[in-house]
Amino acid sequence: MKLAARYNRVTIVVTLSVLIIGAIVYFFAINRIASALLDDHLSEEVAEVTEYVHLHSQFPTPTDMDDDRTSFERLKGKPIPTRFFDTVYVAPKLKTEHEGRGVEGTLTFNGSHYRFVIIISKESTQSLLQTIATITIVLMLGLFIVLFIVNRYLLSDLWRPFYVVLDHLKAFNVSDQNTFTPVKSKVDEFNELDKAVELMTKRVSGEYHNLKLFTENASHEMLTPLSVITSKLDTLIQDERLVSEQYEQIQDIYSAANKLSRLNETLLLLVKIENDLVPEAELVNFNYFVNEKYRQFQDMFSERELTADTEISNKQLKASTYLLDILLNNLYSNAIRHNIKGGHIQIKLNKDELVFCNTGAANPLNGDAIFNRFEKSKNSDGTGLGLTLVKNICNLYGWRLSYEFNNGLHCFIISF
Amino acid sequence: MKILVVEDEQGLRENMLSYLNEDNNVCESSSDLNGALAKLACYQYDFILLDIGLPDGEGFELLNYLRTERRNEAVIIISARNSLDDRLKGLNIGADDYMVKPFHLAELKARMVAIYRRKLAKGNNNLVFNEIVLNLIERTVTVNGSHVILTRKEFDMLLYFMANKGKVVAKTALAEHLWGDEIDVHDNFDFLYSHIKNLRKKLLELTANDYLHSVYGIGYKFTDA
Repeated sequence: MKLAARYNRVTIVVTLSVLIIGAIVYFFAINRIASALLDDHLSEEVAEVTEYVHLHSQFPTPTDMDDDRTSFERLKGKPIPTRFFDTVYVAPKLKTEHEGRGVEGTLTFNGSHYRFVIIISKESTQSLLQTIATITIVLMLGLFIVLFIVNRYLLSDLWRPFYVVLDHLKAFNVSDQNTFTPVKSKVDEFNELDKAVELMTKRVSGEYHNLKLFTENASHEMLTPLSVITSKLDTLIQDERLVSEQYEQIQDIYSAANKLSRLNETLLLLVKIENDLVPEAELVNFNYFVNEKYRQFQDMFSERELTADTEISNKQLKASTYLLDILLNNLYSNAIRHNIKGGHIQIKLNKDELVFCNTGAANPLNGDAIFNRFEKSKNSDGTGLGLTLVKNICNLYGWRLSYEFNNGLHCFIISF
Repeated sequence: MKILVVEDEQGLRENMLSYLNEDNNVCESSSDLNGALAKLACYQYDFILLDIGLPDGEGFELLNYLRTERRNEAVIIISARNSLDDRLKGLNIGADDYMVKPFHLAELKARMVAIYRRKLAKGNNNLVFNEIVLNLIERTVTVNGSHVILTRKEFDMLLYFMANKGKVVAKTALAEHLWGDEIDVHDNFDFLYSHIKNLRKKLLELTANDYLHSVYGIGYKFTDA
């Protein structure tokens, strides 16, 4: 839930409940005050009646008492105490019924006790209450609408810098060179956030740049010692005094040096791809490439007694031929290296995808991990960067690389 | 051939000199750009092996000098930078080849021989080793005057051996030369054996001399000694 929506909900719920509770308390208070006023009025009426009786020595007629309903009856027992009560008031002329307030008590007249009842209408107080209730409801509705609008428009406007910063953060790519454009806001918090984000991205970019530079420099610096090793070995093996055991040792050094230089080369290439420092993409007939590579790898297929079938249809795409070459080299050598003797390779290319399937280990590989750097099988002589390289090339061109295992075939699928 | 090696890394420079310093080759060296320019001002060379990253400047300057002076030394750039831009820049301003470190000395020699034949030998494109004649332009081989049909890999291999005659050539270097970046060299030794076997067989059909000797565990030597 968005902050604004949540805030909106909370404020509206709180405001409404406060208003409702307030209205209820208000209602009871007004009711009570109105009752007290009516009771005062009734007491006055009682006093008037008593005075009338003493003055005129007779009960007042209804016309003497305005619209109040007054009745008297002779009490046979003891006098009853004065009591106020809610009752029904019947208007004398219209004969309509509505709520009323009454008082009863005892009046002593000519030595005998009379019970008197006076009922007056509560209509005026009722309508007062109604008016108050209506005003309250209208007020509530108005407040609700105003709150809603304020929260919705003003708040979202207030939060806009936040979303701009958020968008910046989402779009932030550590390898991008573009600078962070600051957001202008009147709110200090957002300005501070913006500054913090700007500072952070600058620092991150800086660190990343340094790391990149470091990788590149480290790789380059390694090349010269490596070439010294290689050239020393090339010279060393010319020595005729060497015996076969020493040659074997030297061969191992050769292999290690070779692996080191391949590793180095691949790391450099990965850095280049990640930084988009690759040769320009051109429109190529990919099917031609796949077939050409197939021809180049032909003798390796036959050496390992691999059978291969290809299903290659026309496919044009825009990519650097240099990277395509690396991509295919890796896919082909992968399919050969992890194969079994007498195994099988399937290569399929159509306008949607390129699929390399090969026989190999009986169990599926861990589809999530295989594309990670330095992830390789225990008995692999490879650098562990081949599939990472393939993956990065695919990422660069927006292709999707996936791995599937079906019917004993390990399949690598590039969806264009 | 007169060769100038411009390389600041002493170990590498010495090995290049010792590897190339035979067959009537005269090798000189410089560890920096200014030394190389000074040498070039005084002497003519056939070949310059040029490192790009030198302590006192980029090797490209030397290429520019050669171009403005209309010199026709063949140049092979040796660089630690495998960037396409550098490669194109180097080749555009007059380098004949571009090698990326690390490289095998045998590879360097093979490329030098190929360039020398193409560029400097003035129409003589044949590389000759006793009765074996290899034409670099037509990519044909004759032994005792009769043609041998070689596959591309076999031809490349023979050229490599003839360029490095009398030297032990590591199988690692040979596999790298033949297959390059295609796959790990380690996987290629098996293929190498079969190619070697085929080449030897084809040569032995036309000559009684087996020049191709295997050096146990490490590689091969092409020699008549």
